Amino acid sequence: MEHNEPILPDQERKGAGQDNSALETFYYDNKIVRDFGIATTVWGIVGMLIGLWAALQLVWPEFNLTQYFSFGRIRPVHTNAVIFAFVGNGIYMGVYYSLQRLLKAPMYSKLLSRIHFWGWQLIIVAAAITLPLGYTSSGEYAELEWPIDIAIAVVWIIFGINMFGTLIKRRENHLYVAIWFYIGTWVTVTVLHVIKNLEIPVSMWNSIPVFAGVQDALIQWWYGHNAVAFFLTTPYLGLMYYFLPKAANRPVYSYKLSIIHFWALIFIYIWAGPHHLLYTSLPDWAQSLGSVFSLMLIAPSWGGMLNGLLTLRGAWDRVRKDPILKFMVVALTAYGMATLEGPLLSIKSINAISHYTDWTVGHVHVGTLGWNGMLTFGILYWLWPRLYATKLHSVKLANTHFWLGTLGTLFYTIPLYWAGWTQSLMWKKFTADGFLAYGNFLETVTQILPMYMVRALGGTIYIVGVLIMAYNLYKTSRAGSLVSEVKAQAPARKAYVSHKGEHWHRWIERRPMQMLVASAVVVLIGGLVEIFPMLVIDNNVPKIASVQPYTPLELEGRDLYIKEGCVGCHSQMVRPFRSETERYGEFSKSGEFIYDRPFLWGSKRTGPDLHRVGGKYQHSWHYYHMENPETMSAGSIMPPYEHMLDNDLNTDYTAAKIKVLQMLNTPYPNGYADRAVADLKNQALKIANELREQGIEQEKLEDKEIVALIAYLQRLGTDIKPKAK
Amino acid sequence: MDINKKVIALVSCLGMAPALWAVEKTAQEAAWTWVVNNIVVVIGLGVILFAFYALWNTFEAIIYDKRRQVLAEQGIELKPKEYVQEDSVFKKMYDKAWSLVPIDKEGEIDLGHDYDGIRELDNRLPPWWVYTFYLTIVIGIGYLYVYHYSDIGLSQQEEYSEAMEEAKVQKLKFLFAQSNAVNETNVVALSDEKSLQEAHEIFSMKCASCHGKQGQGLKGLGPNFTDQYWKHGGGVKNIFSTIKYGVPEKGMIAWKSQMQASDMHKLASYILTLEGTNPPNPKEPEGDLWVPENNTDSEAN
Repeated sequence: MEHNEPILPDQERKGAGQDNSALETFYYDNKIVRDFGIATTVWGIVGMLIGLWAALQLVWPEFNLTQYFSFGRIRPVHTNAVIFAFVGNGIYMGVYYSLQRLLKAPMYSKLLSRIHFWGWQLIIVAAAITLPLGYTSSGEYAELEWPIDIAIAVVWIIFGINMFGTLIKRRENHLYVAIWFYIGTWVTVTVLHVIKNLEIPVSMWNSIPVFAGVQDALIQWWYGHNAVAFFLTTPYLGLMYYFLPKAANRPVYSYKLSIIHFWALIFIYIWAGPHHLLYTSLPDWAQSLGSVFSLMLIAPSWGGMLNGLLTLRGAWDRVRKDPILKFMVVALTAYGMATLEGPLLSIKSINAISHYTDWTVGHVHVGTLGWNGMLTFGILYWLWPRLYATKLHSVKLANTHFWLGTLGTLFYTIPLYWAGWTQSLMWKKFTADGFLAYGNFLETVTQILPMYMVRALGGTIYIVGVLIMAYNLYKTSRAGSLVSEVKAQAPARKAYVSHKGEHWHRWIERRPMQMLVASAVVVLIGGLVEIFPMLVIDNNVPKIASVQPYTPLELEGRDLYIKEGCVGCHSQMVRPFRSETERYGEFSKSGEFIYDRPFLWGSKRTGPDLHRVGGKYQHSWHYYHMENPETMSAGSIMPPYEHMLDNDLNTDYTAAKIKVLQMLNTPYPNGYADRAVADLKNQALKIANELREQGIEQEKLEDKEIVALIAYLQRLGTDIKPKAK
Repeated sequence: MDINKKVIALVSCLGMAPALWAVEKTAQEAAWTWVVNNIVVVIGLGVILFAFYALWNTFEAIIYDKRRQVLAEQGIELKPKEYVQEDSVFKKMYDKAWSLVPIDKEGEIDLGHDYDGIRELDNRLPPWWVYTFYLTIVIGIGYLYVYHYSDIGLSQQEEYSEAMEEAKVQKLKFLFAQSNAVNETNVVALSDEKSLQEAHEIFSMKCASCHGKQGQGLKGLGPNFTDQYWKHGGGVKNIFSTIKYGVPEKGMIAWKSQMQASDMHKLASYILTLEGTNPPNPKEPEGDLWVPENNTDSEAN
């Protein structure tokens, strides 16, 4: 290890010019960096363990412990924890360290730094409590309910104020490329978060989104895709641009490449969202834009990888020895692979195979385990000895972690690719007589369970590595003592006189506000072009006369479906493929979803599509199936939902929901909210009686949640079904 | 340096792959068809090119040798060999594609920026990267043209209709073949071990979820097969017919478009064998007592 010395103030003086008398003295806040670093590590372990738990649930349904910890509720805890808690804290750790040093200024306000830190941790705790309780607004990576959404916005803006305050107080004239990425990230995430979470509260922990059906789907994936782009990618590219050259002690390969790939990346990325909705009811033009911009994203994405790897020119001999550089190289390689694979998956013919399968899950984990994970670990190993003014406790253990991390990633992703291809081929296979070769969906699930087991093993290996890292960092911190303030000196910033022949881009590098505005404009273009026509041009979603709003009971059933996270495993989008219409029924039409708030198309089929499930089975089948799926489908991995048979349906907010829906132009008759609960009871009684006729004996059946869920499931997709003869 | 090269080579290979994938489907197919149909020509051209290259090198070597001989006779010493050091065509292409400034000349392109000790170089954009970017843009524009402004690319609805046309032909062929197959008027129960074993597997997969794993029937769902009572008639002909046409109003699926007649035949025979097996938790009898003697429907067993 060569980088084991803490950063000394002397280094700051070197570039500061001859005029020593004009030097100002100031102190970098290292404590906040350390705190975010601990949070990164702790939440990383928690988030990954929950992921492992979910992986085990997919093989052994017994791991679905109680209604609070079933797969549908656990999955969003995992995704939120690793994205917003692990990577989120990782971003702040890296930004708070690098920003101060790149600007030669301490953070604008220590108080804001603390509020940011504790606010973010509270949000994470709130998420960890509310999601298992079933408080979810269901959009992927935006599941948290409105009070937490507001808290996120507030804390994010505090972070922004702190960052821009520091930018204004800076002693450096120009902004380094890492900071462009921080600024682009900040402004884009603000826009995404606000627009995705436009919702009207019904109660403290329930809300109804402003957009419905196809529009909601488009906004969800504009958001969801760019959560990957602007939370998992651009801030981490910023961190890479600081920590890689520092760790390698090499100059950044190409300033020009930085400029081109930064602007191209943020401009193009925002357009790519619709590639999550290929072959759905989203209009063709929007799908095509998603595909095309995804393809054009290859080069800008790779610009970052190339600039990183080429910065290592002349340092490759050290890569062999230094685990930090190894982590960074694997991170960049994984980034390159994921950003090539992404565009490939956006091509129609490939997406037809990959979508709804584990291929997507494998792809995402190349990015998260490979890119985000490995880069975070590299940075942590680099930072910790510096924060504690000591040497890393054990380079050997860091090396061990490196190999476990790499192996774990492979053992995680390869089985999922295999599982995805296998399942997709099985879904699509026809016999020579024109029958589905695997007409029973369950066959295609049991086939891939061995792959799920290997995946869980891969996850375990990866987590063992992270635990070793936590131990190593802990021992390192015990060996030294925290240098919470680092003294630094630099002259005050003087008015800059631009000189002839300087690169045109230097102009904006001196102007953080213009940088903010420019990146906002660049980012907004794509979003507006795609979203605006969808909202205002009616014929993008052709109306269907027979499509009616949900009844109050169906509405409550739908909310139960959302609460249990059914959408995590079941899609509601039959794509226009023969293999799907044969299996499920008529393909889904955009006009069928106009009252769906939120949309529930889903993105993964661990179980079959449910859009045409209405009327397919008797009520009693659903009753038994929800009580224990194994009785109806032997070998099913679906969790049991017997609590729905016991719990009384809560109708306290039914009237409020109807009112909010009316505000959003759902055509219920005037004053319907007052009659809604009575209507609900009537319909519940009718279904309960039908269940009794089918032999179900249960007291007060009509008051139970299961009746609402059955009402919803039996309604699904029946609006355009020809009535039974 | 070695690892460096390997990584770079790998990375650049991967970089070209999407371009191949991305080519619009029919054009891609057409191109492939041409390549496959003319594979001899393609390979032949490759061989000829290589042969020319090898010949050229050989001639050069021979000429050089000759020259040296002639000059040596005149007492002039020709220095041994520059042509060995000449970079290969691939090396030249590779260097051009990257346009890297050698590390020892890095000082000349240092921009003088210094951010917390981080310097920046003024290297060119790697030309292959730039051209990949241009290529994806061109392909993107082509894609939009093909799918939205020309008759070449099919919309997803058109693709679907096309697939369903093909399916229709397949289905018709199947139904035609089935017309000669066993049906509810001529079916006779099978009793061979193999057929019943196959039927058992079909039963577990397709019937058990409503009728129970052992055919004991499930409350609120399908009736019991192990007693002597039948809702829609017992005997192999009635059972075959119930499987084939279903009882949609009661939730029984019509299997005729999803199952071979031969499979329905085996299944009906298997269900007959369940009578009197007395599994645990049987569902109470439904329908009428079925006495085979009273009927013309004679059973094999």
